[in-house]
Amino acid sequence: MRRISKTFPGVRALSEVTIQVKQNNIHALIGENGAGKSTLMKILDGVYPAGSFEGQILLRDRVVHLSSPFDARKQGIGYVPQEISVIEGLTVAENIFVGLWNEGGGGIVSFKKLFARAAELLDSMKLQLDPHRQVVTLNASQRQLVMIARALATRPSVLILDEATACLTLDETQNLFRVVHHLRELGLTTIFITHKMSELFEIADHATVLRDGTVAAEFERAQFDEHEIVAAMVGRKIDNFYPARDSAIGDQEVFRVENLTVPHPHLANRNVVEGVSFSVRRGEILGLGGLVGSGRSETVNALYGRLPHSGRVFVEGREIAVRTPREAKASGLGLLTEDRKLDGLLFNFSIQENVTLHDLSQISRWRVLDRARETACAQHYLERLSIRAPSVRTPVANLSGGNKQKVVLAKVLFPKPRVLFLDEPTKGVDVGAKNEIYKLMMSLAAEGIALVVISSELPELLALCDRFMVLARGRIADQFTRAEANEQRLMLAATSGANKPLTN
Amino acid sequence: MKFLRKIWTIPEAGILVPLLVFTLVFYCINPTFLGSNSVAAMLRAMAFVGVIAVGQTWLMIVGGIDLSVGSVAGLCAIVSSWLMKVQGWPMEAGLAAGLAVGLLAGLINGLISVHFGIPAFIATLGMLYVARGLNYLLCKGYPIYPIPDSLKTLGRAEPLGLSWAFVVFALLVVIGDFCLRRTTWGRMVYATGGNVEVARIAGIDTTKVQISCYVLTGGMAALAGMLLMSQLNVGQPEIGVGWELDVIAGVVIGGVSLFGGVGTAIGTFLGLLIMQVVRSGLVVTGVNTHWQTVAVGVIMVSAVGVDLLRRRTKIS
Repeated sequence: MRRISKTFPGVRALSEVTIQVKQNNIHALIGENGAGKSTLMKILDGVYPAGSFEGQILLRDRVVHLSSPFDARKQGIGYVPQEISVIEGLTVAENIFVGLWNEGGGGIVSFKKLFARAAELLDSMKLQLDPHRQVVTLNASQRQLVMIARALATRPSVLILDEATACLTLDETQNLFRVVHHLRELGLTTIFITHKMSELFEIADHATVLRDGTVAAEFERAQFDEHEIVAAMVGRKIDNFYPARDSAIGDQEVFRVENLTVPHPHLANRNVVEGVSFSVRRGEILGLGGLVGSGRSETVNALYGRLPHSGRVFVEGREIAVRTPREAKASGLGLLTEDRKLDGLLFNFSIQENVTLHDLSQISRWRVLDRARETACAQHYLERLSIRAPSVRTPVANLSGGNKQKVVLAKVLFPKPRVLFLDEPTKGVDVGAKNEIYKLMMSLAAEGIALVVISSELPELLALCDRFMVLARGRIADQFTRAEANEQRLMLAATSGANKPLTN
Repeated sequence: MKFLRKIWTIPEAGILVPLLVFTLVFYCINPTFLGSNSVAAMLRAMAFVGVIAVGQTWLMIVGGIDLSVGSVAGLCAIVSSWLMKVQGWPMEAGLAAGLAVGLLAGLINGLISVHFGIPAFIATLGMLYVARGLNYLLCKGYPIYPIPDSLKTLGRAEPLGLSWAFVVFALLVVIGDFCLRRTTWGRMVYATGGNVEVARIAGIDTTKVQISCYVLTGGMAALAGMLLMSQLNVGQPEIGVGWELDVIAGVVIGGVSLFGGVGTAIGTFLGLLIMQVVRSGLVVTGVNTHWQTVAVGVIMVSAVGVDLLRRRTKIS
């Protein structure tokens, strides 16, 4: 792609970007949210047709004009979008050849031929999937593979993977990487968009860093250096990407749960969390490890009163009941939910209205809102969390991912909780904002708040927490301190079966 | 141009501009349209539906809907006139009982839809039939009159050259708007309507907030029914027939989203006003009255369309 520029009303999304992808390479495209990665790939996929941008696209030294994604497909470009979009009611084979069910044409589909073609395709890609299976029964990783197979169905020469690992666990990611490696051996060129540094190191041959719509740096595999790459992404060096702990952990136990059990929402006689007990001290950060589905989220959501559960809960030595979030909040608990789009933010509200929602009593008298006070309170959090927005009255819908996440954090902090559960606090957040959120967590710990943190990014979890508890299949699989912690031990515990005796 | 763009960003702009345009057009065709008699008549006419629309505004912002308001208004009028005429209750007691019936109907609507999870559309459609049926059972299909003289004078009174019904409506708009914008309750209503789960996590008792909106809407339906009764001077069993559609049309034209979380009471006032202006304007200009109904339909759909357009231009 040569000298690509693209302007949206009011914003220059890309300016004179030139990237060169070598055949048979795995080319990583990285950058913060809003750097222009997806825009660039949408141009390559024909979503933004020829004529709507400046510059040229060359495929094997030949200029091509792509007027639609369908056109891009014909030219040998396969695109796997960020969001998994499979049709749940259909089989794997039908999903792979969606829209191309019939090779010959006509309105009648020969399922025999369809399944044969799917089996052949999956086999050649070494994807272990049964074409007859209903997609509804597949997990996230397998669905992702279906999406990839769909992109590969037209036998492209270039495959674009847009944050393909965002919702995969470590194991599933490894599986995906094996497939990508195999495809390279078959002569396929892959453009791989990611946020995760570890993945870059693992599979990329070459990396292009985009920042603010321009190419900030290029790296060959031999030159890969984490600090250099991060610096190129954010435009400055971040010295302490993971800030150091500079506060001591208190002696006083702030939070304790005994024998927490959360029944399965749909299946009788099954628990998603079983017999989990732990405590957190003043200013301590407890890391809750485990795979997706191990019961991590369910644990914190139950403790915040969002799921029915049994077990005893104590805050500062006093036993409390948390049957509803209302009771949990009143007892000094706070929860940052995993998905800010789903249940984190009110998109009909401005920043200040979101921030103050958890404690309206602070900004009202006789139940009448004091708006000057509300603005002042929100302003305080805007500054403390360095939320970048024109004003506290800006609607949250207009903010970037990182700033949205900070608003959710401000919201949870507003009632001044003593115990804070953070479920994936840096999910879908760019590198700069991640660093700021880490610093915030450290300062909260220094204030004496007890934190329980869930994160699927192991380096992050290991760098931030004082103590670790790993869940597997709803039970505690292992517990260890920071000194004893390493990635292997955490992963080993996370992938251990429920048969393993509890080390409690 | 800059001025126009600024107006465009005001939430109520989608209604304010066409409202002014329509008024101007009708005024040019027939200047008596803005005469004091004509204006007073318009304001009086919109009062009954308007009283209910304030409640419906809250309810729809919180994410609910009440289709039974017209029937409940009718039932409450009949119950209170029946108690006063047949049972000989004093006026105050009769009115209080009518109001209680409205609040109870609202409570039942709220419990069924919020607590038991039957969709509000179905639950309140059921109440529409039940209330209308009870109404006819009670009065056996005949109007109940006379109603007490004191109530009659109240209904005929013309404070500010208008009517008590309009005064009540105007007060409710002002109070209703204040409650929504400036009280913690209003904030909880917007939050619950925006995303129930987020509101619950914030510690808001969303069930209580939602049910309170149903109860208030029921109460306002009762108020509207009894206000019309006092003005007509008779407990008319047909009071409130078809009101629910006018109420919802007004609320929606005024900018309340059917999905909840958005809207204001002032917006609803303007929405009702535009409906009334078009209706009266078509009469004044001598157009066949059945065109009024056509016009209301067209206005409602275009109002929502303009609102969508406005939101889109604001974000990009």
